[in-house]
Order: sequence, then C-alpha cells, then structure tokens
Amino acid sequence: MGEFVAAKRRFVVHLRGEDLKEALSQSGASGYVSEDALAEALGRLVEWGNLRADPDTSRVTTVEDFHRARFLYQLTHAGEAAERALGVYEEQLGKRGALQAVALADIATQLRALRELAAQTDPDPARLGLLLRGLVDRSEDLADNAQAFMGSLRRTIELHDADVDAFRAYKDQLVNYLERFIADLLTVGTEISRLLKGFEDAEVTRLLSIVARRDAEDAAPGATAARGDASGSGDENGSRADSLADESDPREVAYRAGMVTWRERWQGLRQWFLSEPGHPSQAKLLRSRARQAIPDLLAVVATLNERRSGRSDRSADFRTLALWFAEAPDDDARHRLWRGAFGQYGSRHLVLDSDTRTAREEQPVAPSTSWRDAPPLRISPRLRRTGSYERRGRANRITDREEARRLLGRLAAQQSEQTAAARARLATGQPTKLGELGELDTGAFGLFLSLLGDALASRRPDRREVLTTTVDGTLGVRLLALADAALVEIRTPAGIFRGPDHVIEITDLSQPANGSRPVMSDARPTGRSEDSAEVALT
Amino acid sequence: MTHALDSALEGAREANLRRAVRALLRRPLLRAGGPQAEEFRLVRRYAVDLRSWFDANTGWRLIVDSEVARLVKLAPTTDDPTHPARDQRSRVPFSRRRYVLTCLALSVLERSDAQITLGRLAEGVRVAAADEQLASAGVTFTLSGREERGDLVAVVRLLLELGVLGRVAGDEDAYVRDAGDALYDVRRRVLAGVLAPSRGPSTVVARELDDRLAQLVADPMPEAEDLRNRALRHHLTRRLLDDPVLYYEELDAEQLAYLTGQRATLTRRVSELTGLVAEIRAEGIAMVDPDDDLTDVRMPDTGTDGHVTLLLAEYLAGRLGEESVVKDGNGTVAARGVGGGPGREVTPNRPQPVEEEQLRGFVRDLTEQHKSYWRRAAQEPGAEALLVDTALERLTALRLVRRGPAGVTPLPALARYALADPTIVESGAQLELAGSEQLGSAEPATSGFGRAGQARLGSAA
Repeated sequence: MGEFVAAKRRFVVHLRGEDLKEALSQSGASGYVSEDALAEALGRLVEWGNLRADPDTSRVTTVEDFHRARFLYQLTHAGEAAERALGVYEEQLGKRGALQAVALADIATQLRALRELAAQTDPDPARLGLLLRGLVDRSEDLADNAQAFMGSLRRTIELHDADVDAFRAYKDQLVNYLERFIADLLTVGTEISRLLKGFEDAEVTRLLSIVARRDAEDAAPGATAARGDASGSGDENGSRADSLADESDPREVAYRAGMVTWRERWQGLRQWFLSEPGHPSQAKLLRSRARQAIPDLLAVVATLNERRSGRSDRSADFRTLALWFAEAPDDDARHRLWRGAFGQYGSRHLVLDSDTRTAREEQPVAPSTSWRDAPPLRISPRLRRTGSYERRGRANRITDREEARRLLGRLAAQQSEQTAAARARLATGQPTKLGELGELDTGAFGLFLSLLGDALASRRPDRREVLTTTVDGTLGVRLLALADAALVEIRTPAGIFRGPDHVIEITDLSQPANGSRPVMSDARPTGRSEDSAEVALT
Repeated sequence: MTHALDSALEGAREANLRRAVRALLRRPLLRAGGPQAEEFRLVRRYAVDLRSWFDANTGWRLIVDSEVARLVKLAPTTDDPTHPARDQRSRVPFSRRRYVLTCLALSVLERSDAQITLGRLAEGVRVAAADEQLASAGVTFTLSGREERGDLVAVVRLLLELGVLGRVAGDEDAYVRDAGDALYDVRRRVLAGVLAPSRGPSTVVARELDDRLAQLVADPMPEAEDLRNRALRHHLTRRLLDDPVLYYEELDAEQLAYLTGQRATLTRRVSELTGLVAEIRAEGIAMVDPDDDLTDVRMPDTGTDGHVTLLLAEYLAGRLGEESVVKDGNGTVAARGVGGGPGREVTPNRPQPVEEEQLRGFVRDLTEQHKSYWRRAAQEPGAEALLVDTALERLTALRLVRRGPAGVTPLPALARYALADPTIVESGAQLELAGSEQLGSAEPATSGFGRAGQARLGSAA
C-alpha cells in the first residue's frame, strides 16, 4: 500500500502487478515476494476495498502472461483515506516537536505584507486570500509543534526511572529546542504582537470579508453576475446589504460560514501572541512551561548524581525496609528494627520525688552503694493498697430521723394551739377598748402587736378609723381612734404596753359559720346600731 | 543591679534551653504547625546551642528548618523491643502488615507529586506490595476488605503524626467505610529526614535480621585514640539520655573502663542540659527525672495497670531480697543485701527467674482482694494473663526486670522502691490506711518491696 501512495505522489495512477513487484524489491521490503503471494495480497486488498482492479488490456508478449489474470490496480478513495490516516498517525506518533523556528519568521513577514495590503482601499482579493491562507497554515504548524513539544516534556517522575543515556538524549533535545525556538519566540514574538495590535477590528473585518466573499465564489460557481460585483466592495455596509438579500442563496450561506471560520482563525492567531487579562497568550504559556522544564531537569541531574555517589535511591531504601519487616522472625524483632531504622522513639526515665531528692542532697549516697542499700524512693501506702492516690469516700449512712420528726410535730402542734388560743382571746368580733384588753399572754400579745401594726400601717392621716385585714386574710381588724384618748396600759409578761386608747375590733374571717359577724364592711360608724362603744365619736 | 539582671536572664535562658531539650528528647520530630508549636519555637531559637551540644556529646544530628525540627536519633543498642510504632488511637503496637505498609507507603510518597489522595496512595501501595519477594515472605495486600483498609488508615495516621503528610480535605474514617476519600499534602522535607541511619538499607546485604540491623546502625570504631574516646563518649551519652537505667554488666570492657573514669563528667553534662539527676549505684547509673515528664511509662502509676505493675514489682523485689540473705555462724541474719556499705565489693548475685505462670497465679489471688479497686474487666477469669503481660511490659520498658525464656528476672534497679510510712490518723473507729497492718507483720521479707518501711535491716554500719 505504501508503494501505491508513493506512486500517487509521482502522479502515477495505475500500477500493474509487475511494476508493483519491481517497486517492492527496489525498496527492499521484506525479502523476495513470490508472484503468487503478491497476487493473493492484491486480491485481498481488492476484496477489502482498498484497491480497485480493472482488467488490463495492454499487449502481452508471452502465452503465460496472456493466461494469467491481469489487472490494473488503483487506489480507491477509501483506500487512499485509510493510507493517509495511517500516515498521519505514524507521523504524529513519531513527532518529537520538530523545530520550526522558520515558522515564526514567516508569520512576521506575512503580517507585514498584510499590513501593506490593508492600507490600500481596494486590495487584491487573490493576494489577500493567499496571504491569509499562508498565515493560517503557518500558525497551525506552530500550534502543532508546540503541542508536540509540551507532550514530550516528560514529567519528572518518569525521568527518575530513566538511565543515564536516555536522560542525556532527552536533555540534549530539550536544550536544543529551547535554544532555538524559545529564543525566537521571544524576539519575533514581540514583533508579531506589535503587528497584530496594529490591526484594528474594523480593518480586519473588511479584509476577512473580502476573502470570505472570494471563497464563497468558489463554493457555488455559476451564480448570477449581478451579485458578482458585491464581492469587490467588501466594506461593512456592502456585506450587510448582501445579507438582506435572498437568504437561501448558497453563496450567502457559504459566505457567512466562511466569515465565521476566518474570524475564528484570526482570533486564534491573536490569542496565540497577545495576552488578555485572565487569558495569557499561548506563547506565554509555552515560555513558562519551557522555563519550568529547566529546574525539573536540574533536579533529575541531582538525583542521578546522588545515585552515582553511593547514596541509594530512597524509594529503594523503603522497599528494602519493607522486605526486612516482612522477613523478620517475630514482633519484637520488628519493634527493634523500627527503633533502629526510624529513630522515632522518646526517652524514658525513672522518676524522683522532691523529698527523696532533698534527702539525698543533704546526705549524698556513695557511688558504690548498691540499690538495695541506698535510700529508696517512697511509695505511698495508699497507692500500693488501692491503686490511686485519692481516698475514695465512704457512702453516708442513712440516719434515723424519727425522733426529730416527732419533736417537730410536737412543736408544730404547740404553736398551732398557741395561735388558736391567741386568736380566740383576741378575735372576739366585739369591739373593745384597748384599755379593756387587760392582760395578754405572750402569744396573744404577739398577735395583737402584729394586728396593731397592720392596722396602723394602713391608717390614713385624715381618717380616724381604719379597716384592714392581716396579710393572710384570716383576721380582720378595725381600729378606731378615740377623740380624747387616755393613755392606757396593757400588761404582758414582757412588760407594759402603753398607748392612746383606741377601739379595736378583731374578727376571724376564716370562720364564716361563727356567730360573730362574718363580713366586715366599710360602714360608717353611724351605720352600726348594736354597739354603744362606737358612738363615742365626733 | 546588672549582675542580678544578667543572672536572671541567664537563668531564664537555661530554663528555656532545658525545656527545648526535653521536648526534643520526648519527641524527636517537632513540627511548626503541630501541637508542639511552642516547643518548636524554643528549639529553633536555641538551635545553634543544641546542635553543638548534640554534636559534641552524642553524635546525633539536629536538623532545624522553618517547618520541622528533627533530632536524628541513632539508637545506641539494637536489642530494645519496647519502643514499637503504635496505632494512634488504640495505642496497640503495629503488626507485621502495618510495618510493611508503612514502608511501602513511604516509598510511594517518595515518588509522588506534591499532593496525593488516599485512594491513589492505596493504589500505589497495592502495586508495590505485589512484589514477589514480599509475597514469598507471606505479606499480601489487595485492598479488599475493611481490615486492610483499616490497616492502611492506621499507617496514614502515623504518617500524619510524623508530619510526612498534611491533611487538606476529607476524612480517613470515610475511607475505611468505603464512602469517601481524603487529600493530603506531601511534605518532602520531613520525608527526607524520616530515616535515621546514614546508611541506606538498600546497600546492606545480609540475610538475618540481626545482621541487617547491626550493619544498618553500625558506627565503625575509628582507630585513633581520641576518636575512639569520642565514639565511646557518644555511645555512653546516648544510652544515658535514652534508657532509664544503664547497667554496668551490659557494657563491654572498653566502655566500662571509659565510663568508670569519666562518669562524673558525663553525668554532669547530661544533668546540666536536661535537668536529670544522676543516681549512681554499684550496679549501674540511672538518670532520674525530678519533674516526672520525660518518660512515657511511669512508675509508680495510678489505675489498674499501674497498680498491678506495682504489686508485681513488689513481689519480684521480694525475690531480689530473698536471694541475698547472708547468714553468719549463728544462723541469724547478719546482713541482708550484698555489698552494702562503702569499701565492700559488690558480688553480683543473680536471682532466679520467676516463671510467668507463678506471676499469673499471684495476680489471680490478688484479683479477689482488690476487686473493688480494679476495673471490672479484670474480674473475668483469664484476665490475669493480660494484666501480667501489660505489667511486665512496663517493667521491662523501664529496665526493672528482664523477660526471658526461663521466666522473669528482676534487675537491681527494682530495689530502689520502698513503701513509705503510713500516716496514722487517730479517728474514732479505725486507722486510716491499711498499710499499717502489713507493716506491722513480723516477717519483713514479705512486706513492701523487700524491706520494711519502719525498720531497716542489714544496715551494716
């Protein structure tokens, strides 16, 4: 098949079997090929569709030749596509970033020419097309090579595995490439970016539309001549006017598609050399990647050096250690190996408490004393007995509180009796003069004082009578100040209580069923009719 | 006045230096962002002084930079199994698989980028664990099942603790349940300092673990005299700083000779820097800590385990005392304890090892007696095996006993503990402490720690 492709390059379309054999033996491929094998191979290729066999009708000179099936072979489209794909595949595989420094110079030249053409008002479309197409081709080449170069910059990890020779070859290649290409990228690249910046957007669109128009012409030959002059104008208005025309015109479609493609290509070219904020140009990325390759290279050199000087590869060290751990006889051996190899252990020391220390400082122990005989370290007996320094508390016994409870009960009963007696004494419900209270015992006196206090506290200065209840609401008090009150005495065990005479009426409110008046109403003294003592008022 | 100020400043500086050293000895790797940020700052401030001290006296490297302070401790001895790697939550020592996973995870991290997820790490470990040598040793890791994931998460937690990884997002528990992932930063500087010995393990060819370990940490003895002395000084200071007790019988002749001559200097240097006090005795040296914080195992300790440890220690110390009864002609006890008093030779008297079965029986009897003080799980039948095991682990870690195939042998330093006098408070009903009734017994050999608190026997003076 390769022969067919080679023949195609020489513009030979058909090949006979004999020509093929000759060409094969000339190119020295795989020894002697027999006629039959060749015929068989050719037959198979025809079957697969790579070749087309036409009967050969030329003159022959021998009888055998006449009887042999003679065919002319020719590549089919499919076969050609397959071969080309294979060729590209092999080429790409084998690519190692071939140097294309000339590409940059070409691009610069073409841009300069473009500059000149753009200055003209009516540039020649053919020349323009040629220039632009050339630009595109060159920059595609550039992109391809850069891609191949990036791919061939191997990661440092893989480099560690390489032996010295392979590494040296790689290093040479890298340095060469860097020397020639990157330096040029720097110098010519700046010029190219300057040129690119010089092109204004509108200018570029004008040029592109000219070329697109011309391409569209090619795409649909035989269009009306009336539209033909529109390709010459090429300015923005013209193209817009055209687009208003028939949309289904294939030339229009082709023109628009062409514009899009050209714009993309131009954009791609710009992006290759000019950086925008946030999008560094491809050239810049290429430069930084190449710069990065140098320290990586140096690191590999250092590693190789280390290996040569006897220091072992650390990764191999760890693997060897893993093997030792695996082959060690028991766990103790492994712990010893861990300690020896990694050294990650802490110190360990016995303890000394301060009492022993001071004792030793006062009476130093001779170095030849045995441990048995020297003053020892004291361990607290509690620790020895229980295993902890703190004493665990005993649980409290539950004490019997019956006695106290009974006492309290008695006290409570007593108190309630006293209170009841006091109340009975005082809360008669009858108004009495203070002087008539006579003698009060302690409990009654205490109750009396609290009632008096409640009443006096709620007395208003302009009134002489006050009506209130105790805080708990069980006793009601009515106190009436007498007009010309004499000083009266109440005798108590604590002493004698003196004060101006009042009329006091105490009612037990909590017993409504009592015979005494249950409800205390704030009635005026004149409202009462039964008690004579109350009439002593102004 | 300036003199007072100077001495105050000097005192403050010494105190800070001491704090920094203690923090480093307790945890050889301090991180700037971790829970020991305060101590990290101190270490950074005094990095120069600390580095020169460690260089001169122990030969340990001190690496201090802006993120991590690492004291690269080279273990002086290779026969100490009491410092295992522990699970961060349950404090259980690592199993074989977890150790292997740790190393494989570190090898994967060594080759990874600046960030890694737990899932990616697990994949890498799985691939690394497919090594045929590991498989022939019997370790498999296929990332199937919750237990394996749990192991990996335990390893990751250890790496987080060591500062090799820093968590950015996610949760390891979710990964164990197979419900999520976690993202970590890989800290290369810490990763670079994780291995202590300067010799890489992959350069050691030996078959047995003992040989491998010996070659890994080997410090070849130099030929010149003063370099030899320096190497000896380093070795002895390392042991004084790391181990609770240094016994003379563990040293070889050369080391013993050097120690006997330089004992005072060595111990003084360590005391000045760390605040530890030297307890020099006939059988060995113990650097003891008056502040009780430079250790991970305490003796005496509270709690059930601490209590069992204490009682077992007492029992074993009783054995230590018993073996050394010396009777004079009349058959009465002339001196208890061998080698007491100045000027007398110490004759090492090896006590007979006690079988662990006997200890278990002892603890079984005690369980009934101390039922109310111990945790409930200790009451179950068969629990005494675990209690004895834990207690013996602690005693071994503190170099107070030695466990062997024949049983448990008490070591001389066990005799430094004794029971204090009880304080008797006259309350109406009873004496406060139960210790008194035991001290009052007539056979001092069975009371606390081989000697009575109230009577000293065998004082030859």
